[in-house]
Amino acid sequence: MKRYTLQLGLTGLLTLSGLTSCTNLDETLYSQINSAQFYNNRQEILSGVLRPYTHANAWIAPTSQQSYWRLNELTADQLAWPQKGRHGYDDAQWIRLHGHSWVFTENNIWNPWSLLFTGVGFCNSTLGDFNRVDFARAGVNDTEKAAFIAELKVFRAFHYMKLMDLYGNIPIVTTVGTPLSPPTASRAEVFAFIEKELKENVDLLPNLSKQQIGRITKAAGYAMLSELYLNAEVWLGTAKWDECIAACDKIIRGETGGLNGAPALDPDLVSTFNNTNDNSKEALFQLTYDYQATPTRCGWNSDFYHFAQRLIYDGDANGNNGVVVIPSAYDAFKDTDLRKSTWMLIGPQYQAADPTKPVLGTEEYRDKPLVFVKEIRRASENKTSSTMIDGEENSGARFNKYRPGRQTEAKYWSNDWLIYRLTEIYFNKAEALMRKNGGTATTEAVELINNCRKRAFSAADFTKEAYTPATLTLTELLAERGREFIFEGKRRTDMIRAGAFTRVSWWDHQPSDPSKNLFPIPQRQLAANPNLVQNPGYPAR
Amino acid sequence: MATVKTEDFNQGGTRNALDLVQGKVAGLQITRTQGNNPNSSPAVQLRGIVSINGTQSPLIVIDGVPGGNLDLLQQDDIASFDVLKDGSAAAIYGTRGNAGVILITTKKGKAGPARFDYSTYVQHESVARRPNFLNADQWRAYRADPANQKAGQMQDLKATTDFYDLLLNKQNLSQYHNLALSGGGEKGSYRASMYYNGADPITIQNWRKQFGGRLSFNQRGFGDMLTAQVNLATNFNRANLLGGNSGDFENALGRNPTQPVFNPDGTYYEEGSTTNPLGRLNQEKNERAQQTTSADVRFTLEPIPGLRASAFGAIIRDNQNDNEYRSTQSRFSDIGTLNGTPVKKTGYARKYNYLSTSQTFESTLEYERTVAQDHSLKALAGYSYQYFVAENFSGANSGFLNDIFQENNLGAGNFLQLGKSSLSSGKEDNTLIAFFGRLNYAYKDKYMAQAILRREGSSRFGANNKYGYFPAVSAGWTISKESFMSNLAFVNELKLRVGYGVTGNQGIPNYQSVVRLSTGNQYLNDDGIWRQTYGPSNNPNPNLRWERKQEVNVGVDFALFNGRLTGALDLYQRRTSDLLGSFNTQLPPFVQSTLFTNVGVIQNKGIELTLSGTVLKKEDFSWSMDFAGSTQTNKLVSFSDDVFKVTFLTFGDIGGFGALGPAIRTIEGGPLGSFYGKRFAGFTPEGRWLFYKATGEAVTADKIVPNDDYAYIGNGIPKVYASWTNRFQYKNLDLSLFFRGKFGYDILNLQQVFFGNKIYLPNNVLVDAITRNNQINDALQFSDYYLEPGGFVKLDNVTLGYNIKLNTPLVRNLRLYLTGRNLLTITKYRGLDPEVDDTGLAPGIDGRGFYPRTRSFTAGLNIGF
Repeated sequence: MKRYTLQLGLTGLLTLSGLTSCTNLDETLYSQINSAQFYNNRQEILSGVLRPYTHANAWIAPTSQQSYWRLNELTADQLAWPQKGRHGYDDAQWIRLHGHSWVFTENNIWNPWSLLFTGVGFCNSTLGDFNRVDFARAGVNDTEKAAFIAELKVFRAFHYMKLMDLYGNIPIVTTVGTPLSPPTASRAEVFAFIEKELKENVDLLPNLSKQQIGRITKAAGYAMLSELYLNAEVWLGTAKWDECIAACDKIIRGETGGLNGAPALDPDLVSTFNNTNDNSKEALFQLTYDYQATPTRCGWNSDFYHFAQRLIYDGDANGNNGVVVIPSAYDAFKDTDLRKSTWMLIGPQYQAADPTKPVLGTEEYRDKPLVFVKEIRRASENKTSSTMIDGEENSGARFNKYRPGRQTEAKYWSNDWLIYRLTEIYFNKAEALMRKNGGTATTEAVELINNCRKRAFSAADFTKEAYTPATLTLTELLAERGREFIFEGKRRTDMIRAGAFTRVSWWDHQPSDPSKNLFPIPQRQLAANPNLVQNPGYPAR
Repeated sequence: MATVKTEDFNQGGTRNALDLVQGKVAGLQITRTQGNNPNSSPAVQLRGIVSINGTQSPLIVIDGVPGGNLDLLQQDDIASFDVLKDGSAAAIYGTRGNAGVILITTKKGKAGPARFDYSTYVQHESVARRPNFLNADQWRAYRADPANQKAGQMQDLKATTDFYDLLLNKQNLSQYHNLALSGGGEKGSYRASMYYNGADPITIQNWRKQFGGRLSFNQRGFGDMLTAQVNLATNFNRANLLGGNSGDFENALGRNPTQPVFNPDGTYYEEGSTTNPLGRLNQEKNERAQQTTSADVRFTLEPIPGLRASAFGAIIRDNQNDNEYRSTQSRFSDIGTLNGTPVKKTGYARKYNYLSTSQTFESTLEYERTVAQDHSLKALAGYSYQYFVAENFSGANSGFLNDIFQENNLGAGNFLQLGKSSLSSGKEDNTLIAFFGRLNYAYKDKYMAQAILRREGSSRFGANNKYGYFPAVSAGWTISKESFMSNLAFVNELKLRVGYGVTGNQGIPNYQSVVRLSTGNQYLNDDGIWRQTYGPSNNPNPNLRWERKQEVNVGVDFALFNGRLTGALDLYQRRTSDLLGSFNTQLPPFVQSTLFTNVGVIQNKGIELTLSGTVLKKEDFSWSMDFAGSTQTNKLVSFSDDVFKVTFLTFGDIGGFGALGPAIRTIEGGPLGSFYGKRFAGFTPEGRWLFYKATGEAVTADKIVPNDDYAYIGNGIPKVYASWTNRFQYKNLDLSLFFRGKFGYDILNLQQVFFGNKIYLPNNVLVDAITRNNQINDALQFSDYYLEPGGFVKLDNVTLGYNIKLNTPLVRNLRLYLTGRNLLTITKYRGLDPEVDDTGLAPGIDGRGFYPRTRSFTAGLNIGF
């Protein structure tokens, strides 16, 4: 009996050694953070406020993503991504953008939605988390707390404005996860939401100053109001020219601060965009970069640069040889227009590190000198046809507005990407004045535009090129806007406002249906959310 | 359950333990997409696709250790494979049994005299079929062709180079040695084996050298009530990961064949933004030193007959140490960057460490009793705990003065001071806990029944759904033991099996149910310092739960004609529901566009047949055959619920020049693995593609509306798998012929898509580009033009063996054999090998990797003392 007791005891021990083991299945994070443990001090709070900024380059700048930028440029009359031999056909996606024949299933339609609403989500997430945060304990006073919250709300409104620009009628969501299946709000409702959010919050923001570089300040907030009201006729159905002018004036008068002293137009065509453009006086809102202090930069190379472009500027990055200037857009600049030679790259290319050596081609012109040409046609095969499928590696004038500098420079590729600059505020005000005046330029409008245009010509040439109230027509204003803001991701919006986007033809593009002024709600979201309503002219589901 | 024992293993040299059973088990698909690359693993799948994002390959259990590492197994240490195919069998492994379970049992010592067993082989491989690209002469001839519009772009660089050939290791010779010592007495036995396995494959800079050992012993004591079984296995390996990279072969084949390898000054010839593949392979280094160890011990106490308690503990530890260096003269040093900063001829070094540990503890209590002679009962209850933790560390630097340090003094590079070196580390863990029970009942060995219940929890699921129940029942009826069968003399055995089981799947990334804030790049703070930003990197899903598979299996085992024909026939239907997947979700209100959640149902149905027969049996000669065949259908029944509505899922992104998009699309209710794309309608006189619109009209590509005008144009999952073994024995001589085939599927030939089009010139192209496809004068396009029938029959293994009978008691057995593998392929497929990956959700796509498929020839010797 005693022996059995021992044996059973041992048996029990073997068995129970298991049962007494742990039954805990909680997860422990090691390399990421549980949000319940976060926001204990000002730096942690700020790190949440700044998350949407590092995300924004993905949608607003040409950084190789299927972005807002691409939809707003590659559907318009200045830029295109033509097929270049074996490169760039890309399942005809660029041809569809250029020809306004995009479909609601494609990633070019879905990704901008996704990127923008993820940005909205970052704002909502941090705002939601802030409800649980004891700011006083974290060392943040009430004024600063209000400013942080206002900054996130204004940034969120900015995302909504860009979403409204693309898709028109969209759901409005201000909290993460709820409501499920948010319904479509009409463009007028979205407009009202944006207007309310901006008006309630812009004055809680600090003024723009060097310390606030890269952040949303009053200057950025009023620039957003200026854009919102300038487009109110399209977006809301009701023009708001006076409101636009008032927002512009606020900035022009310096009431919203400036990056380097009072805001002023930069004197030349380069300093606004070069790698020391944090010294620009006209920048109002930018995504700021320091490629020396961090590993990130604004990566426009991928969309724009040729396969051997690094030799041209003595840098490190080539690109996919994608986006080029449409020949008719290149021709829209007069030869005396310095913007033509400064902001675009054309002709034979030499190595910056040794200008006696030509840069050699890698495709059709392999091992032969690379010469960028205005035309888009297969000259290597002696063909003359010029359409979206007729490009070769050297076709089209190239992007040179933002220049990284040489890699030996102290601020190599530290260029900030400008979202708003004072020139745009001048253009907005001039346009509002003209529209208010029945389409005819006022003296003030002419002066605003000429102040900007003056930089683009030698003093001698400008005497011939200055606008007068007679020459500055609305059509001319749209053309001048195009020349001034080429590559900046704004063209489609400007063309729609001018009524030109679906009505006119250019290069390989024919007029399209007015429903193309809006993009379709992406199929992926229509499938996921039964409460979304498709825009007119597109498949309902 | 299907069992494959040593004598039925595929013979010859193997790169991976699973190669031993390729084609041997009906329903088990093992595909080597990388040929005989020793540093790649085969794709394994049992009874088709069971999951979208969860684990799709079977659970490997080595001597009772779940999640066992195949590196620890050498072919001569394995006694058998048991493949648990149906849900009722797999249920005791519960949670990870959805994709099936493969139990591997290693050889153990036996009571008797001490034995020595030595096995060795040498193996040589040669390229089975090389891709037919233009050689230098053909390239020059085409350059001179007046009809060639690309002639102006093609430069004759005056050399004649076959880059592909230069990447081959033609003198390759792999070798393998395994020595096992075993023996035992009444109270215990032991087996120890040690091995060296030097894999020298067809490609340069791609070797793998392993050595290690396996030790097992067991003993019985404590009045014969306590037994202990201990296993210890370790594997040290060094692998050269630099070569065998499919990109090198694509790069080599695509180069202008008139290009020299070297410049006159002896440096590698380079062009454009590409890298000379020979230069890369000679000026870089990427080696892994890995050690995997597994130790387990099981104590079983049987205090009174029939009552057994056991405790089992196991630990597997996997440690990888990667060393990478790219010399200052390398192409990478010339044009590459680290963190965006050009390396500028200063070299690049990286070290990476990975350490994972898996700990298992299991205890069971079992009671077995026979009541009234005919009723046997067995009951088992148990608890299991498994904890897995993995961590990694990586550092890279550039800015070295010279090549002396390589990766051995990372801090010496000045990219560290520049702030451009890189450093990263990570750690994650997860836990599984289970309680389980099993009841068996048998009446006169005629009627059998089994019930299993497992309750298992995984840390990966949401707070309220961590635990799930997994029941299974099965029954068997040995019909041949019934009296009414006695007059059917030719039936020796006939058994009917019916089973139903629920298993689970938790094979998803960790931490999907909780909100995680992750770094999102640095941004400027208002104190002038750049700091990381933090935001949610996932949509949390507190409701995340087990994926579950219900499976019904009906099977018959039979032995006929005095055992001359044996076999099994199985019919199954499996339904996986609550599919784990990273599904498109509503954005907004969520932050990210996908949510890891449980949506949808996959259904597989199939039939499996295994036959073994003796065709002839004479005194000196015998001929036997085995056949294994299976057929199955896979269907994605649904992947929507109240919140997640998905119209279709796409897989198999083609990528490459021209971004051709996904090749495969699956709709709700449709089959898995279907190609979806344009339908070829001909060419215009200028050579532009014509495709059919949905209306039937033939138009150029720009008039095709994506999706609207696409159609289902083929399917990449074979409908039928079959294999056929023939064994002949004449006296001491034996010969086996093993055929394997797959039938009824399509292959998307991406090699033709890309390199079969003149648009690729002045890079090199397939001969087909200027012959068969010569009329194409247009962009790269994916359409049914490039789909080809993929069925094939392979003579996969021929082995000729000779058993030498020596008249000495000192030598127990002595066997010599010669094996040839992949000797002959009969197929209509124009590509290199019709055996492309047919597992997973993107089957039937023949990529443009060009890693050579080989024929291998092995000469081996087994000797036992």
